[in-house]
Amino acid sequence: MGRHFLKDQDFQAFLRALLKAKAVVGPVAKKHKFVFARLEAPGDLRLDYDVTILPPKKEFSPTSQDLVRFDGARFEGCVEPQEKILFGVHFYDVKALDMTDLLFKEKNDDRNYTAHREAATIVVSNIQKVAPRAFWASIGSEVKPKGHDAWLTKISGGYVFETRTAKGEALLQYGKFVPATEAQFRAARQANEDILKKCPEKLQGSSAEVAKKVRAAFSREELWTKFAKDCFSCGSCNTVCPTCYCFDVQDWWNVDQKSGARTRTWDACLTEDFAKISLGSGAAENFREERAERFRHRFMRKSAYLNPKLGGPACVGCGRCSMACTADIADPVRVINEILEA
Amino acid sequence: MPKPRVAFFDFACCEGCQIEFTNYGDPAFLELLKHVDVVEFREAMSEKTTEPIDIAFIEGSFTREADRARLEDIRRRAKIVIAYGQCATTAGINALKNHTKDYKAFVYGQDAGMPHLDSQKAVGIDQAIPVDYYAWGCPVNKYEVLQIVSHLLHGKEPVIPNYPVCVECKRRETICRYDDDDYCLGPTARAGCGAPCPADGIPCEACRGFVDNPNHEALVKVLTKRAGMPKGWAEEKSRMFTANQRGDAK
Repeated sequence: MGRHFLKDQDFQAFLRALLKAKAVVGPVAKKHKFVFARLEAPGDLRLDYDVTILPPKKEFSPTSQDLVRFDGARFEGCVEPQEKILFGVHFYDVKALDMTDLLFKEKNDDRNYTAHREAATIVVSNIQKVAPRAFWASIGSEVKPKGHDAWLTKISGGYVFETRTAKGEALLQYGKFVPATEAQFRAARQANEDILKKCPEKLQGSSAEVAKKVRAAFSREELWTKFAKDCFSCGSCNTVCPTCYCFDVQDWWNVDQKSGARTRTWDACLTEDFAKISLGSGAAENFREERAERFRHRFMRKSAYLNPKLGGPACVGCGRCSMACTADIADPVRVINEILEA
Repeated sequence: MPKPRVAFFDFACCEGCQIEFTNYGDPAFLELLKHVDVVEFREAMSEKTTEPIDIAFIEGSFTREADRARLEDIRRRAKIVIAYGQCATTAGINALKNHTKDYKAFVYGQDAGMPHLDSQKAVGIDQAIPVDYYAWGCPVNKYEVLQIVSHLLHGKEPVIPNYPVCVECKRRETICRYDDDDYCLGPTARAGCGAPCPADGIPCEACRGFVDNPNHEALVKVLTKRAGMPKGWAEEKSRMFTANQRGDAK
């Protein structure tokens, strides 16, 4: 679609008009970190963010989400999509959304996710600041980001705004856009290419190589036991992961004991009880009882098991898990590179 | 169907967890009373019962052999026993005394020799009687307790987390205490509280005790490496609410 340009001095007015017309969610500061949140004022937007604590997935699959509400007599599904603009998403998070889009749609169309997703307009921002543990340049580079409506790139003097869909085109009415010159477009492409050279961490193998070697390391118990030695089973690596999508479903009653909701909440396969299942008659079995088994399972899922379905690894190199892991053992680059070297 | 008969009992504790039960605010508390029949609850009523009970909430730790008979009597009468609050689940902070010898003189001074103050090791009530469910916390999370009661009323297994507080911090995008140059026991602490302390910039002290399988060695490592605690301090640090869950429990 189109290539447009917006001058620096017109950017705030564009955001103001956008905020007036729609609900806009974007990266905002939370002390020295960043989170995606509803923008109250144009000045809240921080396109100079490195990475957010949680990925934008939470806008479509909230940490806790009612699936059904009941009042004792009636059950009602609660697919309640809200039209919104996700502004300033980095490309690696779009790649992750492409994966959850596919996973929530295959076999059963999960309307609690897909309806939210369809109601959103996604505007990518080029990465202006690189997160300390990012490795998005060296993982799954064969997979390109798809699910976005426009791509915004900061260049000298303003922003290049490339529209990809009609939803993206529809945003043009809110700002003083002019056609981008060839030089501006080239500058934008350069900015997006240059940033790829600035990743602090690098995976030492192709997706296919990684998948093969990680799989081959499955039965090397001593290796996984070593990797997982300091694991707290706290699930932080799962909870902050943009491609994790497991959830637990529970029923909750209100104090009247009649009305309530069936709610799903993000789950985490690193936690001890994730794989604990009922055998009936009060008996239970945990099919991934050991820390090392759970640790290994995450690496299998992220680098091998889902590849045929996704066309690449279920990891986009955001580095959130590396940063969130208190014991600092979750970093995929360190673990995978060690496996590759062996 | 008659309303389930609910009773509260207390042993070695401050009874603060029972007070939590009255802290829902009038509308919620009065609504709850439409669904349960409270037959003994000395923080809120003077009636007592010697009859069978459906749900017994037992607060406080088992620390006097003389209390065993009373615990056994409650167990005989109760269909469901809930260890209510950290003192009842693992003896909570009461268990700190297991690591000292002079506590009696220190706390009671010249009265230390009085017979009713004679107590032994502080342990959870499950060391005396079988317990069906555990309501963790110092104090309990009253909303969790409400859900435990609600799930029991509906014949559903109560949902009681066995994952660390980190899960709840991450869900609410709280900045990790370790990323703010602080310490935190959250990686080994049982969640279910909603992680309000780190969200307010306060480290988790594990007031709901440890998860079933805490990685204490790794905790000592992050306390020293990332929070800069001296080794000895780091090793002791988690004891306040977990004295009976640690490797060095007496």
